[in-house]
Amino acid sequence: MARWGMVIDLDRCTGCAACEVACKSENNVAAVSADQADMGRASSWMKVMAHVEGEFPDTTMHFYPRPCMHCDNPPCIRVCPVQATYIDDEGIVGQIYARCIGCRYCANACPYMVKYFNWYGPEWSESERQHLNPDVSVRPTGVIEKCTFCHHRLQKAREDARADGRELREEDYQPACADVCPTNAIAFGDLDNPSHAVHSLKADPRVLRLMEDLGTQPKVYYLRPRE
Amino acid sequence: MSPSRREFLWTMGAAAATVALKGAQDVFWESDESLDVGWVPGIEERRNSACLICPSRCGISGRLVDGRLVRINGNPLHPLSRGGLCPRGVAGVQMLYHPERLAGPMLRAGPRGGGQWETVTREHAISRVADRLGELRAAGRPETLALLAGYNAGTIQDIWRQFLHSFGSPNYVADEYEDGTDAVMALMHGIDRRPSYDLDRARLVLSFGAPMFESWWSPLQAFVAFASPGDEAESGPRFVQIDTRFSRTASRAHEWVGVRPGTHAVLALGIAYVLIRDELFDADFVARHVSGFEDFVDAQGQPREGYRSLVMRNYRTEEVSAITGVPVARITSLARAFAAVRPSVAVCGTDVTFAPNGLLAGLAVHSINVLMGSINRPGGVLFPEDTPIRPLATPVLDETARAGVGREPIGAGGSTFASGDPALRFAEAVAGAQAPVEALLLYYANPIASSAQPEVWREALEKIPFVVSFSPFLDETTRYADVILPDLLPYERWQDAPTPFSYPYPVWGLAQPLVEPRQGAWHTGDVVLALAQSLGGNVAESLPYESFEGLLKERARGLFAVRRGMTLGGEFERTHHRQMEERGWWLPEHAEFEPFWEELVERGGWTDQFYDHTDPYRLARTDSGRIELMPAALFNALAEQGSALRPYLDVATPTAEGSREFGLRLIPYRVSTLASGTLSLERWLAEQPGIFPDVLWHPWVEVAPETAHTLGFSDDTLVWVVSPQGRYRARLKVFPGTAPETVCAPYGLRQPDGQPANPLQLLDGSNDPLTGLPSWSSTFVRLERV
Repeated sequence: MARWGMVIDLDRCTGCAACEVACKSENNVAAVSADQADMGRASSWMKVMAHVEGEFPDTTMHFYPRPCMHCDNPPCIRVCPVQATYIDDEGIVGQIYARCIGCRYCANACPYMVKYFNWYGPEWSESERQHLNPDVSVRPTGVIEKCTFCHHRLQKAREDARADGRELREEDYQPACADVCPTNAIAFGDLDNPSHAVHSLKADPRVLRLMEDLGTQPKVYYLRPRE
Repeated sequence: MSPSRREFLWTMGAAAATVALKGAQDVFWESDESLDVGWVPGIEERRNSACLICPSRCGISGRLVDGRLVRINGNPLHPLSRGGLCPRGVAGVQMLYHPERLAGPMLRAGPRGGGQWETVTREHAISRVADRLGELRAAGRPETLALLAGYNAGTIQDIWRQFLHSFGSPNYVADEYEDGTDAVMALMHGIDRRPSYDLDRARLVLSFGAPMFESWWSPLQAFVAFASPGDEAESGPRFVQIDTRFSRTASRAHEWVGVRPGTHAVLALGIAYVLIRDELFDADFVARHVSGFEDFVDAQGQPREGYRSLVMRNYRTEEVSAITGVPVARITSLARAFAAVRPSVAVCGTDVTFAPNGLLAGLAVHSINVLMGSINRPGGVLFPEDTPIRPLATPVLDETARAGVGREPIGAGGSTFASGDPALRFAEAVAGAQAPVEALLLYYANPIASSAQPEVWREALEKIPFVVSFSPFLDETTRYADVILPDLLPYERWQDAPTPFSYPYPVWGLAQPLVEPRQGAWHTGDVVLALAQSLGGNVAESLPYESFEGLLKERARGLFAVRRGMTLGGEFERTHHRQMEERGWWLPEHAEFEPFWEELVERGGWTDQFYDHTDPYRLARTDSGRIELMPAALFNALAEQGSALRPYLDVATPTAEGSREFGLRLIPYRVSTLASGTLSLERWLAEQPGIFPDVLWHPWVEVAPETAHTLGFSDDTLVWVVSPQGRYRARLKVFPGTAPETVCAPYGLRQPDGQPANPLQLLDGSNDPLTGLPSWSSTFVRLERV
C-alpha cells in the first residue's frame, strides 16, 4: 500500500507561485472579488508563504509552499461530526463535499490553515466555465474544500496503468504543483517506496516538518535551507 | 453529417456493452435514458505550442478536453523551459476565456472615448481601415500612418515592418521594454544585439540588478539553471545578486550583496581592481582580443589613460567600499570567486542601466566579463546566430512608398546609442503638433496605462483622426480607437516564438491554435495580409502570402534547408545533436519538408543547440577586430555633446538626497506575474501578486519598519504615494528587507476597479542622455495617509 507524501526543497523554491496558480487551474478553485479577498475569503489550496528574518541589510527570506500536510494523525478528522473529512488507506486526507455540513470545526482545528470554506458558490462567468477541469467537481456553497494531492490524477493514473497492464510508476502520478514547478523544488511520491525520490529525500538531514510537536505527523516534508 | 469523434466512441462503447451483456435479461442501461445523464467523459488531447505572454516564450503543452483548453502545462521538449512554467503562463486559460474579451470588430458610434460602439462584420471593419489607408496613399501622405507595437518579435513584427515600408511609412514605433545592454554590446563588441548568457554551463553568475527570478528576459532560463543540483561537483551555477532592493531574486540567490542605489557599477570596478591588482584576470585573453586596457594615444594624438590605469587609480577597495557600502573583505572575496569559479559571468540588469549615466555603468559591469575572457566561451556571454528562417519577399517600393520612407520617422533621433523611449517621443511630437499623424495602429500597446506620461498620450490621441486597435480587450487606449479589430489570443493562432535575447541557442517555437478561434476575432497577421491585398499594387506584391499560417510554413523551409538543428526533443536528443554538430556531423531526419513540418508542429518548434565558440566574428566586429574597453565611438559622442562624463569614472548615480518635503527614494520594480502594465488582469494572478500572502488585488508599496514607525504608519495603512509629478493610492506594507528611507513600488498593478496604479508616472523624468533610458531610482516621494 502506497503512502503518498511530498518533499519540498526550500533551497530551490524561488517563490514564483506557479504551483499556486497551477493548483487553482487544476482544481477549479475560483477567485473571489477584491472586497471578499479583504475579508480573508480567497481560497488557495497551495499557498506560497514568505518567511522573513532579520533587518536590512542582513535579511533572509525563504518561501514555504504550503499545501495540505496530509497528516497521518490529522486533527481535522477528529472534530468532524459527520465524517466528511477522512484519511484514506494511502494517507490522503480528503473531503466529501456531499457530506460536509459547513460547521467549519475542521478549519479551526487545522493548525496549518489549509481548509477553506465556501462562503459562496464558485463565481465563474459563462466563458470561464470553459476552462474548468472536468476531472474535479466544483464545490457548492457552505462546504469546506482543501488540497487533495490531486487525487483525481491518482485515479486516472491507476486506470491507465491497469489498462497498460503494468505497475503504477512514480512519474504517472504527480500533483499539479509538483508537475509545474520550474525549479523542481517539489518532489512527490510514495514515501515507503525506495525507488521513489521522496523516500530518500525524507531521510535527508535537512528535513523538517511544520509544527511537528503537535503530533500531527505531516506527510509534507521540507528540506530546510543550507546556510 | 458524419458523427463526431465522441459520438463515434459512444457508439462503440454502447456496442461493446451490448456484446458483453448479451443474454442478460435485465439490461437496465438498454434504454436511451440512462445515457442521457448530462455527463459524458470528454475526449482528451494534449498539444504543444508556445507561450507568447512574455519575451521568454517558453514551450507549453495544452490539455484539451472536448476542444476546450483546461490546463496549460510546460512542454518538456522545449530546451529553455524544459517543462517548467511560470504562473503567468499557467493562468493563460483565464486570459483565453476572459469574460471581458471583445466579441468582434467594432466601430466607434458616439464621441471618442464615449464608450459607444457599433458591432460590425470583420469585412466591414477591414474595408473601413483599407479605405482610410488607401486615401492616405492616394493623397501622397503615406508617412502619416504610424504603428505603435508593444510586441516586437518574430514574423508578426517582420510583416508589420514590411507592410509599413511598402506602404511608405517610416513610423514603426516600438513600445517595449529596453534595457540598454544592446548599446553596451554595440560599443564594446561592435555587435548590436543584447547579450545572451550561457547560464546552463556557468558556475558563478554575478547579477548586477537583473531581476533574474522575476521579470528578466527569461526567468525560466534562470530557473532551469538554478534548479541544477546544488551540492555536487558538476553543479549548476552559484547565483550572486547585487541589488539595492532585497528582491525575491536577491532573497533566493545563493548570496545577496546589498549596494547603495546607483552604485552597482562602482562595485563592478572594485571587483576589476582586485582582479587586476592580484593578477587574477585572463591576461592572455586581454592581450589577444582586447584594446584599451593599457594607456593609449587616441585618434587625435592625445594620450589617454587605459582601463588598467583608470581602475587602479580610482577604485581601491576602500574607496569602493565607502561608496557602495559593501565591506572591503566582501569585495575581495567576490572578485576572487569570480576569478576562481570558472566559468563565471556578470549579468547587467535594468537597475544598472535605468540611471542618469546608465550606459557608462553598463560598460563598467560588462568590462569584468571582458577581463575574465567570459565572452564567446562556454558559460559566458554569447552572441548567437539568428534563426535561419526564410526571409520575407523583397519589398517592392513605388514612388509614393519611396518618398514616404525617405522621411524622418516621427520622434526619431532620441539618443546617440539607444532609442530610449521612442513611443513617448512619438507621442510628444504628435501632441505638440510637430508631426501630423492621420492614422495610428495599436498592436499590443496600451500606453495610457503603461506610459510614464499618459497625459501626453491622451493629447496625442486627440490629434490623430483615425485610430485602429487590435487589442482583444477594451483597454484604456483601445477606448480611444475608431475601429477595433480584436486579435485572436495566443492559444487560438499561429505564430512563431523566437528565442528570448538572454538565451544563447536559436529556438523557433511555434504557437498553434489549441482551440477553435473565437468567432468575430481575427488573427492580426491575417488582417495585415488582407489589408495589403486590398491596398493592392506594390503593398500587395510585398506581402504575397495567403495566410499567416502559410507564411510560417514557408519560413520554416529555411530551417529544413539549413542542415543543422533539430525539431524540439528531450535532453538525450539535444545532447546527441549538439555533440554531433560539434564534430561537424549532421544527420537529416526527414527526407521531405512535409514530415519535417508536421514534426515541428507536433513538438512545438525547432532548435539548434550548437554554438561555435571558435568563431572570432562572435567575439568582436569592431574595426580593429578587438573588444574595445575604450570605444572610440563613445569618446567621439561625448566630445560632440560637450559632455563632461568620463567612461569608467562617472558610473555612479549622482548622490541626490531627498528634500524635506519629499524625503523617500522611490524604487519602482516589476513583479513577475505582471511584468507589463498592458494586460487585462487574470483573476488568479490578482490573488497572488507578490510576496505578501495577505495582499490580494491591491497595489502596495514596501517600506522598512523604522521608516514606517517614524512616519507613524502601520502595516496595511492606505497611503498616497506623492511625488512632484503626481500621486497614486497604495497599501503600505512593512517589510524588513526594504532599505530605510526608500519606498519600493511594484509596477504593473491595478486598483481593484481596474485603474492603473503606476509608479512610473511619479518619476522625475530624468534620463541617460546617451541612451535616452529613464532613470528609475532618482525620484523622491512622500507618503500621505489616505
